[in-house]
Amino acid sequence: MASLGSIAWSSVGKKVITGITGLALFGFVCVHLLGNLTLLIGPNAFNSYAHFLETAAHGWLIYAFEVYIIAVFLFHIVSAVTVAWTDKRKARQAGYKYSRDAGGKSRKSLASRSMIYTGAILLVFIIGHIFLFKFNGGNPHTLDEHGYKDLYKVVDEVFASLGFVIFTVVSMILLGLHLRHGFWSAFQSLGWANDRYLPLLENLARVVAVVIAVGYIILPIYMHLTQPGGH
Amino acid sequence: MSTNRKLDAKIPGGPLALKWERHKMDNPLVAPGGNRRKFTVIVVGTGLAGGGAAATMGELGYNVLNFCIQDTPRRAHSVAAQGGINAAKDYQNDGDSIERLFYDTIKGGDYRSREANVYRLAELSTGIIDQCVAMGVPFAREYGGTLANRSFGGVQVSRTFYARGQTGQQLLLGVYSALSRQVQAGTVKMFPRYEMLDLVLVDGRARGIIARDLTTGEIKRYAADAVVLATGGYSPVYYLSTNAVNCNATAIWRAHRRGALFSNPCYTQIHPTAVPHMGDYQSKLSLMSESLRNDGRVWVPKKPGETRRPSDIPEAERDYYLERRYPAFGNLVPRDIAARAAKVECDAGKHAYMSPYSVYLDFGDAIQRLGRDVVADRYGNLFSMYEEIIGDNPYQVPMMIYPAPHYTMGGLWVDYNLQATIEGLFVAGEANFSDHGANRLGASALMQGLADGYFVVPRVVASYLAGAKLQAVKTDHPAFAAVENDVRGLIGRLLAIKGHRTVREIHWDLGRIMWDKVGMARDAAGLKEAIARIGELRGQFWHELALSGTDADLNKQLEQAARLADYLELGELMARDALMREESCGGHFRNEHQTPDGEAKRDDANFCFVSAWEYTGENREPVMHREHLAFENVELKTRSYK
Amino acid sequence: MSDKGMTIHLKIWRQARGAKTGKFVDYTVQNIQPAMSFLEMLDILNEDLVKKGEEAVEFDSDCREGICGTCGLVIKGTAHGPHAATTTCEVRMRGFKDGETITVEPFRAGPFPVIKDLVVDRTAFDRIQQQGGYVSANVGSAPDGNAVPVSKYYADKAMDVASCIGCGACVAACPNASASLFVSAKISQLSRLPQGGLERGRRALAMVAQMDQEGFGDCSNHGECEAVCPKEISIENIALMRREYMRGALKGD
Repeated sequence: MASLGSIAWSSVGKKVITGITGLALFGFVCVHLLGNLTLLIGPNAFNSYAHFLETAAHGWLIYAFEVYIIAVFLFHIVSAVTVAWTDKRKARQAGYKYSRDAGGKSRKSLASRSMIYTGAILLVFIIGHIFLFKFNGGNPHTLDEHGYKDLYKVVDEVFASLGFVIFTVVSMILLGLHLRHGFWSAFQSLGWANDRYLPLLENLARVVAVVIAVGYIILPIYMHLTQPGGH
Repeated sequence: MSTNRKLDAKIPGGPLALKWERHKMDNPLVAPGGNRRKFTVIVVGTGLAGGGAAATMGELGYNVLNFCIQDTPRRAHSVAAQGGINAAKDYQNDGDSIERLFYDTIKGGDYRSREANVYRLAELSTGIIDQCVAMGVPFAREYGGTLANRSFGGVQVSRTFYARGQTGQQLLLGVYSALSRQVQAGTVKMFPRYEMLDLVLVDGRARGIIARDLTTGEIKRYAADAVVLATGGYSPVYYLSTNAVNCNATAIWRAHRRGALFSNPCYTQIHPTAVPHMGDYQSKLSLMSESLRNDGRVWVPKKPGETRRPSDIPEAERDYYLERRYPAFGNLVPRDIAARAAKVECDAGKHAYMSPYSVYLDFGDAIQRLGRDVVADRYGNLFSMYEEIIGDNPYQVPMMIYPAPHYTMGGLWVDYNLQATIEGLFVAGEANFSDHGANRLGASALMQGLADGYFVVPRVVASYLAGAKLQAVKTDHPAFAAVENDVRGLIGRLLAIKGHRTVREIHWDLGRIMWDKVGMARDAAGLKEAIARIGELRGQFWHELALSGTDADLNKQLEQAARLADYLELGELMARDALMREESCGGHFRNEHQTPDGEAKRDDANFCFVSAWEYTGENREPVMHREHLAFENVELKTRSYK
Repeated sequence: MSDKGMTIHLKIWRQARGAKTGKFVDYTVQNIQPAMSFLEMLDILNEDLVKKGEEAVEFDSDCREGICGTCGLVIKGTAHGPHAATTTCEVRMRGFKDGETITVEPFRAGPFPVIKDLVVDRTAFDRIQQQGGYVSANVGSAPDGNAVPVSKYYADKAMDVASCIGCGACVAACPNASASLFVSAKISQLSRLPQGGLERGRRALAMVAQMDQEGFGDCSNHGECEAVCPKEISIENIALMRREYMRGALKGD
């Protein structure tokens, strides 16, 4: 009988890990988006929401969540990189001189081909995002009128820069692309698919990709256009 | 020349229905465990018969060496059988029984097969279905979950089990899975991409083979206590046939040259429904399953030289010649009869639009009666295969078909124990001659392959091993060196010719002679001409053959050349056998011997025997021996499907 | 096209036996008829080569009617050529244009080493099958064929996947060189029949472990395999294989 470790790290196991962690990250992306939409309401709403997250369960919630999400990320990255980079390269060292996509029933697409690259760019984005927003670019946070960390101001300042807006918009388009394949693919990887509802999942993935990308793209554009300095 | 050397078929005594049971009781066994492991059995071929025998003997605990020319055992040509497998289950409650399957097979074979063998085949048929189901073969099912059946030519019951149009594939994959399990268990050692090139005899018994590793070209020796040949048929002797391009007679022909008698080589099955010949570039003729005749109607235009398209020919100007000539069986007459009837029409100038040698197989009525979906469900894969080849859509334009060489009833002579005239050499499946007489009924080849493989070979080889008291023989025995030397000599000779004609060109020449003179209708003058011309062609082959590359490499042209060398001898023997047999029976039709209405006319007084030819040397006339066929349970009658 | 048929330019991968790599060699064949099969066109090329004393291009083929699974070439960049649901031997020349240049490469994957020219070694598939692609039922031990009814729906589903011919096109077309479609087809067939259900957990674990050990890549759900599969086997079976695998892992049966 194979050990659970070797089962988890088998070709199927790696896909299951990638799928579960992918769905977990998708869940986070959804919640994060809903929370961030408070930016549209105003500084008070956003800062209170952030304050709630930071202080819930005496601050333990956020730590616990951070540990969880970092673990999820690590598993997602390691398993996905093994599947789509390391193992892939090992499995076909002498490649085709000329090859074309099969078309027809294939699900291969720009989205499926670029998972490893969109993922890598998103990683860079996330690191920058955390540095800028969570750690305010290394600067101390100021407090708002309620004595909460004024994270709204941080966001506002970052998106004053058109460059950051563009970087974010592009990254979120890539997130959409990542989800376009990743969403249905996760169900397929977890064995929750068959010919009857695979087409539904694929269509759902298209919707999810657009909704998440658009949702996240609205925020930087809105923040940029509503700078206190006025535009 | 012929003699009457006594050929003992070793048919057990007693009533027909008890012969096999009694035989199992009367013959010695090898006890399980260590005793069986001491015996090594070579099995050549991994089709239903060979793979089935290898796997089953592995299950029983023997040490099996299994060889095949394919890159994996799963590709043996059994894979291509389409329509189904017969078994006397009587699940349809339509009056089937072991007796009836036995009788249908004897009659279908035109009373030229051995009663005892055929009865055993019918008896074992039911166990085959059970075994295949247990192995996960996905046979067609009814909505209630029971097994489905359909009808095949030459019978009036529904006893054919099937898996869409891919029954052979599914049965073979069942065999392959059993074989895989034994490879894993260590009882069977597989040798894919190996070709047996000769048989090694020690003290008159088969004790090993010489095989060529087709990847590296190495010639290797393998020793065993018994050798089983299950290498299939040899229809590519006609060049164009429904067989795979690598099907060959080499293993049985080399055994024949070492002393195994060759039986009934003139009995060849020309399958009535293949895609017609279209051009000289062709490498094969694609089979359209006999099951199509369940719903398709065969016709030709009444007017010779008709040039209109089928859709423009009114009903009244069509001749449904099978329904007209054989009202009782209609489109479901046996293969030999359907094939010859097509030839008669085409010879009279009545043919389909594509070529002078094609007839229509029309699904118009079936589509009207059953609807397009039902027809698609039954035959969809065949229709799309046809459309791929011809470019016509058979849902709209009637299919065009013509007979093509398909199955060879002849093969090495074997007794009831499937043992050839060389002791320790067993021959199973299409490679032997034993069960189908002068014509095989549809869906019976798969039945014979698995009956031999799963049930007969394991039993009879065990009896041989238990009784033979064999000395240990290793590959350093001088007999191996001598035979290996012969094989090396042959390969060297082929490569040394350095002529200008390719294997395919010479093979085509042989095929034309065989098809024209030893095909669906034969006569003495044509057969004599064929014998002379094949002899000449053989001479040309050994002077004009062009080969490139070396023997120490993967070299498929060389493989084909060695097989063609054997075909050039076998083709002549087929013509000689056909010339000798001054009667018409089953797939062997002599123009000189027919009834006034053009049916085959048997001569039971003079030809109720199996011919068994002895090889006497290259370019020397072979000697014929006879095994008289005794019919104790079936009355010899004129076969009628009217 | 003239009366003499088409002229076709070929770029064929040639690789000597035992060599690490090879190269494209250009050939031209003439008088190619539209009804010819692709392999018959290669037969003609080989006759030309042999007559010139050159070595024939080695490629595997046998039944030439799409059922044995022996043939397999990457034609114009696609496994088994540009048409869906066909094997290489079923590809007809009417799908190509007079004067066209066609590239021909072997199926490429680490576990499918090139033997010579276009011939590859696919015995890795056999070794996977040996790990559990069977029902452990010895000859003689079977109950009556109708003893266990099987739902027509599942029998048909099993037949859909049992039609796999083991050609390896799925591996050849997969960007990751994964064998998942092949392996899942067998697991799916047997798990859908009551006869195969008894060993399902063990079978899935063992076959997947062997697939990994052979060095096939992991499946990224691109679906190229299904698109090139001559028998149109669906990737739903890969999902099913994963389900069976996890089931086996968790239940330990």
